[in-house]
Amino acid sequence: MKRGRILAVKWGLNPNSSSLGVDVTFLLFGAAFVSLVTPMVGALLRFRRTPK
Amino acid sequence: MTRPRAVRLEAFGAIVQLERPRALVFVDRDYARGLGHDGGALWSRPGDDGAIGARPLRAPLEAHLQLTNRCDAGCRGCYTAATPQGAAGEWGLEEWKRAVDALADAGVFHLALGGGESAVLPWLGDLARHARARGLIPNLTTSGLAGLDNLLSVVELFGQINVSIDGVGDAYAATRGFDGFERADRAVSRLRRAKKEIGINVVVTRHNFDRLDELFAYARKRRLNEVELLRFKPAGRGERVYSELRCSDEQHRDFLPTVLKLARRHRVRVRVDCSYTPMIAWHDPGTELLAKLAVYGCTGGDFLIGAKASGVMTACSFAAPPPGKPPVDAIGGYWERPEAFGAFRTWRDAAEPCRSCPYHELCRGGCRVVSAAAGDERAPDPECPRVLAHRAGQARRVSLPVLS
Repeated sequence: MKRGRILAVKWGLNPNSSSLGVDVTFLLFGAAFVSLVTPMVGALLRFRRTPK
Repeated sequence: MTRPRAVRLEAFGAIVQLERPRALVFVDRDYARGLGHDGGALWSRPGDDGAIGARPLRAPLEAHLQLTNRCDAGCRGCYTAATPQGAAGEWGLEEWKRAVDALADAGVFHLALGGGESAVLPWLGDLARHARARGLIPNLTTSGLAGLDNLLSVVELFGQINVSIDGVGDAYAATRGFDGFERADRAVSRLRRAKKEIGINVVVTRHNFDRLDELFAYARKRRLNEVELLRFKPAGRGERVYSELRCSDEQHRDFLPTVLKLARRHRVRVRVDCSYTPMIAWHDPGTELLAKLAVYGCTGGDFLIGAKASGVMTACSFAAPPPGKPPVDAIGGYWERPEAFGAFRTWRDAAEPCRSCPYHELCRGGCRVVSAAAGDERAPDPECPRVLAHRAGQARRVSLPVLS
């Protein structure tokens, strides 16, 4: 079976009741940092795999 | 408390919710299969695999509920035109609980509760508790000017609470029209003593843009976990003062490098609202990077919905209700309709320069509400730096002063 891809990660919770807030702090660090973080998110997803 | 919803299958794959760190993770079909899920008929179209945005989500990620339009503050730019009397036909606890049930059944992950001033509602905690019981995470924005003791008694029910503060000291009054900083600051301090996940919402105007540094410093001093920056919108009372308060085009062009510089200087996380996506795209950070961070422009009627104090559903909190004024507890029957949410879902039929813009799949033409105020809700966002450059016949200036 193919491993598949993480397409996007939307960080945090949005308390603002007027628009979709998105965390842009990672833009400080650029694409390389996101590439490093994505596998860590993947590890968390598989570690915390939940029943259907 | 009940655990939040874990997974929602989508045509592109699935959305998985992480509690710590707090995130929604979008994965393709193979990845979802690896986690033990099968989309069945939902995954029958091969072209949809991995294609976020190819079609609307099966349900919003979050719903923005204006629980009341009552508020004594009287801010001159209030986008809901809140008053001490509130709106006609406001819903009460039982109606909102029914809405939460419908949103939970649809698969919504998060609620953003606001007003008016929702902190004064005696049943706020009951509603938040009900949301938790149905697997949704309630979050809240408050002015901090009223209802603080009520809110403190139920503070643990919320995922994130932000206090609206548009300036430190006298700068607060420049935007809001009255001096409420000390009271709002007191609320921030008390909430922060009770909870770590406290931040501030800042409506950015041409008057406080040059003083954002003070707000980031303030957030750092109060040990807040985020600053959320909101573009001023021509809605409610804001329509009357829009030309006076909206940021200048130059400020819009400087927005991204300015806020990233401040986030780095003060070591505070920064969130920006969806209407700022054109100002981010101006700096050409790369479509792949923005997609990975789920930076989207107008996703009203798709990633998010709003609901007025009377329960009427809207594409976003600033938008007028769709024809027929469907209530939010009827989301299940409305969402799949071909005409649902009108111009908010027809962003692909864009005019130039959006049509050929490399960021259009993400930005979706910028803020529909700003476009509507300028005369055509289907037109490109008239304040987008790329749109302005296109109209002036200029080449886009490449500038990446902060991004590495």
